[in-house]
Amino acid sequence: MEASRSLFIPVILGTARMGRMSLHAAHLVTEELGKCAGVETDLIDIAKLPLPTNDAGEAIKQADFSAKMSKADALVVVSPEYNHGYSGLLKHVLDSCLKEYIHKAVGIVGVSAGPFGGTRVIQNLLPVMRELGLVTIFWDVNFSSVQKVFNEDGTLLDESYIRRIDKFLKELIWMAKTLRQGRARISLD
Amino acid sequence: MAAVTKTDKMICPSCRVEMNHHCDKIVYNVDAHDAGKTDPSLGGFIEEFHTCPECGGGASRHA
Repeated sequence: MEASRSLFIPVILGTARMGRMSLHAAHLVTEELGKCAGVETDLIDIAKLPLPTNDAGEAIKQADFSAKMSKADALVVVSPEYNHGYSGLLKHVLDSCLKEYIHKAVGIVGVSAGPFGGTRVIQNLLPVMRELGLVTIFWDVNFSSVQKVFNEDGTLLDESYIRRIDKFLKELIWMAKTLRQGRARISLD
Repeated sequence: MAAVTKTDKMICPSCRVEMNHHCDKIVYNVDAHDAGKTDPSLGGFIEEFHTCPECGGGASRHA
């Protein structure tokens, strides 16, 4: 029965840059998601997806990524802020699917070396998420001055992030459950 | 691709139950072979999205 199936909420790490600190943020969010009852998760590193760059959109859909997006009830996107925007590769990956995302929840985690915690990249991602059919939640997680939040091996130095992530995930899980019911039970007609 | 019944409901290929139609999306970037499907009042065509109430699997089709 659909309602008894665990929620599947993968975390997408949205950068391929060498030395990316967002990796630590993505690991932390994945770890916290894994502690939530009735939730399965997986970390999807876009640097490891074999997508070509000589075409774009659904024409380059990658089977494993598509299957995970189809199975997903919600997504977490962890994105660093590069020149106030998201990485080109993240957009390239997201654009490879469409029907897989429809009426599913998404939460965004912004990461920056500066004081604003990726707020600008989150704002820039919102219209993209909307057009993909994803439903954004109103909680974000903002990793400001990320080099001070984690040490080099990824150990969390600021425990206050755990509570913020918990609030973010509770909202995301609520939205995921609600939209699962909506997709399965509430007709447009 | 899920099957279509007389009532026009999509049928989940795994569970064989009627799927729920929960979304319509207008698609503008039509290829030449899709040109005949364009609704002039919308400027594109409608893609329907359906979900199985049993397994949660999704499917889509042109309206």
